[in-house]
Amino acid sequence: MALIKRLYNWLDLRIGAKEIVEQELTGYLLPRNINEWYSLGSVLLVIFTLQVVTGLLLLVYYVPDAEKAFKSVTYIMNELPYGWLIRLCHAVGSNMMVAVLIMHMLSTLFMKSYKSPRELNWLTGFLLFTLVQGISLTGYLLPWSQLSFWATTVATNSAAAIPVVGPYLVEFLRGSKLVGPATLGRFFALHVGVIPAVIAGLIGAHLFCLKRTGISTPPFGDQVETGSHWNPEHYRYESHPGGIPFFPNYALQDLTSIGVYFAVFLAVVFFAPNLLFTPDAFIPANAFQTPAHIKPEWYFLANYQTLKIFPSELLGLSVQAAAMTFLALLPFIDRSPERNPFKRPLFLVCFFGGFLLWVGLSVWGHYS
Amino acid sequence: MENNGRRKFLGVCLAGASAAAAAAAVYPVFRYLAPRSDQQGSNKVEFAESDLPAGEAKFFEYAGSSAVLVKTSAGAVVALSAVCTHLGCIVQWEKDKQDFLCPCHAGRYTPDGTVVSGPPPRPLAKIPVSVANGKITVG
Ligand code: HEM
Ligand code: FES
Repeated sequence: MALIKRLYNWLDLRIGAKEIVEQELTGYLLPRNINEWYSLGSVLLVIFTLQVVTGLLLLVYYVPDAEKAFKSVTYIMNELPYGWLIRLCHAVGSNMMVAVLIMHMLSTLFMKSYKSPRELNWLTGFLLFTLVQGISLTGYLLPWSQLSFWATTVATNSAAAIPVVGPYLVEFLRGSKLVGPATLGRFFALHVGVIPAVIAGLIGAHLFCLKRTGISTPPFGDQVETGSHWNPEHYRYESHPGGIPFFPNYALQDLTSIGVYFAVFLAVVFFAPNLLFTPDAFIPANAFQTPAHIKPEWYFLANYQTLKIFPSELLGLSVQAAAMTFLALLPFIDRSPERNPFKRPLFLVCFFGGFLLWVGLSVWGHYS
Repeated sequence: MENNGRRKFLGVCLAGASAAAAAAAVYPVFRYLAPRSDQQGSNKVEFAESDLPAGEAKFFEYAGSSAVLVKTSAGAVVALSAVCTHLGCIVQWEKDKQDFLCPCHAGRYTPDGTVVSGPPPRPLAKIPVSVANGKITVG
């Protein structure tokens, strides 16, 4: 202990460590009525870090070549010590990341923290959401199994419904007329190089906005002003005098949430490792044999079902594009300063109605 | 004071649990990255004696490393590690001079691995070898 204190003093004399701790940790005050949902961002940071670490470890043995990819993944799973653990952490982690991302999005949506002055927080977050979907889609192809191959065929094919450029766009995405070795090359580059870098940059932007704006006050409880006291004429940092310190109080909540996350995540890894894999995931890709039931991953099931229920694919695609654009631009559409959802009945109906619609479409997609 | 004791106890528990969790994460990663012992080639290699004329050398993989088999012009069969004892380059057989030259820093060895000149501190390591019924068995 004494040694740590001395080291801390030594650092402080050189880089002013105590000042930073005072400013960013013990003196960083959060609203008194802050709740658990505000810790999901930290959980996401942990998940992203874990994805990067396990991804780099997989890169040590994975071979991005159509002839060898499946074999290298099988080797990692069956022969390397703890290869199964690394791979499952990466595969399960990607699904968990989407799930936690959706929860984080729903909570900021419900508490209406996307409103002025936090539009940029919402926009960068929304971009992160689409990029995480993109990194999952490109990563799905890499094992080069029947499942990856045909899921990618179906997913890329939906772009063909776009008028005029559609068919060319599909070919461009795939790098060839059909999914093949050229597709693996570009998806690999996107998955391990391009998208992670952009995600890391956007996380930086997301946190920067948060830092400059200050954390929002949850719109519930008594001592709270629910309307946003933001004045559109001047930049103002939303501070919380008399609030609770981030360290140790909220850091403990962050740690608790991370602990709960790990309990769920590791339960899947250890006790339900095949949750995500259908039998087609264990058969190498065969370009001449389409398996019977090709379904996308759970978080794309609603999109998949939407495409199926509309008589024309173009219509189905347009509806989804419209819904995504609406969500992305929500802070500019919903402009009332009232942030308490219980004082916005129409919002409440849309929120729960929209969520149930998404769940319903996903379940329908699963069983259709 | 009692309170302080409890604080200390919980602190120690927390540190212990964190150390255990860290070990549980590091050990699999270490095992995953560690070189695999079962990949290092078989421990016995056989050649037909007719494959190795007198005055020639044959390089091959042995126990995960490089080895060389020489038949001296006198007809003796020798098996040596081909790893130079100086800084680990692989020695080359010079048929015209009937010796080994290490191209890295010009270390020279006789066909039975003794250092002739240059920086190598030790002779090339010998590998057991036997010749019977027209077969050379290394290892
Ligand atoms: C890689 C993905 C993401 C990471 C790592 C991340 C991280 C964070 C962190 C650490 C915070 C501060 C603590 C908190 O309120 O949770 C935060 C806040 C926020 N995030 Fe995200 N986020 C991600 C994606 C998203 C998405 C998809 C959205 C919505 C479209 C979003 C919207 C917001 C908003 C509006 C806030 C401000 C909350 C407030 O001030 O009350 N984020 N994010
Ligand atoms: S490594 Fe062979 S002489 Fe230096």
